[in-house]
Amino acid sequence: MAEFAEQSQTQQLMREMGLDDQDILRRKQIVALEPEDLANIAAIQETVLTQVEALTAVFFDYLASLDEGRTVTNNRSIVDRARQLKKAHLQEMVHGEYGRGYVEQRLELALLYSKAGLELRVFLGAFHQLLRTLGASVMKHFESAPTKGFDAFMSLKKVAFFDIGIIVDAMVSERQRVIRQQQDAIRELSTPVLQIRDRLLLLPIIGVIDTHRARLITHSLLQAIRANRAKVVVMDITGVATIDSKVANHLIQTVTAAKLMGASVIVTGLSAEVAQSLVALGMELGKLNTVGDLQGGIEEAEILLGYKVVSSDDRARFRMSQATPTTPE
Amino acid sequence: MVPILKQGDVLIVSMQAALSDKDLLQLRDELAQQVGQKRARGVIIDLTALDVLDSFATRTLRTIAYTARLRGAEAVVVGIQPDVAFAMVQLGLSLEGIATALDLEEGLAHLRAQER
Repeated sequence: MAEFAEQSQTQQLMREMGLDDQDILRRKQIVALEPEDLANIAAIQETVLTQVEALTAVFFDYLASLDEGRTVTNNRSIVDRARQLKKAHLQEMVHGEYGRGYVEQRLELALLYSKAGLELRVFLGAFHQLLRTLGASVMKHFESAPTKGFDAFMSLKKVAFFDIGIIVDAMVSERQRVIRQQQDAIRELSTPVLQIRDRLLLLPIIGVIDTHRARLITHSLLQAIRANRAKVVVMDITGVATIDSKVANHLIQTVTAAKLMGASVIVTGLSAEVAQSLVALGMELGKLNTVGDLQGGIEEAEILLGYKVVSSDDRARFRMSQATPTTPE
Repeated sequence: MVPILKQGDVLIVSMQAALSDKDLLQLRDELAQQVGQKRARGVIIDLTALDVLDSFATRTLRTIAYTARLRGAEAVVVGIQPDVAFAMVQLGLSLEGIATALDLEEGLAHLRAQER
């Protein structure tokens, strides 16, 4: 089940990153991986395959030696899987086949790293350490013909950089996904529509309004107007620091849309700076019904709805004065 | 063909599906006639069932409302759906100067309040 979930996660990541066969081909061109490189790599296949265990150990021991690397090595379930994948990686790396399956494996490892919170620079450090060890053993194998050894290693390095390109892109795109998720969460939280009396809604707006958010605010307000059968909406923009002509237009649109549904909107909380900048911009705000602060806005809304708020003290006094003449003597 | 219902001194038109331009013009003429004939004091146009409203329909609605007013009846457009309202604002279509209300009940309440 978990296996399956991971599988679909890498597939999804592949789609998001646009990693299709064409892109993979392009990536190979970018690192200049050519047929002769494959031949070079085939020559050192044996050397690497015998050392897979040792090389994997180099990578993870190096991670464990760094404070930043322990996020991976201290997590049993992750490190076991990562070791397994790294071994497979080294075997595949000299196998000469760098297609979809290979890329998928790279992505799975990248997802694992970002799940463990491994920083890119730390990964690069450890990977470099691995390559260095690998290079040393290749050179040793070709002691008699160092140029040939160097060529073989450089060919392998192209594959390594192909891998790094994928892993870096995957980790960056993972991070962007997290940021997007958080932004969505903040947006959801930040547009509440509250009912404060029968048929009276309060819409407090806090923070920056952009086009996307303005659309969301309007949408949730219109839905709330229908759901609550609202007649008056008080929109409080005390929490909006600055207003430019674009934001003002968004506000006017929201008000107009609410009006079409039969609800009138009272805008409150325009600060002195905001009011001045709106006037300076020459915005046509005649359509907006504005009141200084939230309290005034709610009072205005109550008048529109026909409410009259009386403090209980006053009411008691009023009742007494009414009651006096009718008291039996 | 859109039926025009009479309830007291109010005429009620409930639009059922996206009407063709021809239907809209026919409705406009018919309603202008009936306001006089039935001595209506109010007209309610209900758009609850519509999920789209184009610029021609909006303009015709405006014409209907102004015509009705000249004939002595206050017009109220009711039941505009949230998505329709949003789309209209985005497209810059407005029903300026025409009363709008949430639904039929609200529209009737609005007309009653006007009479007083």
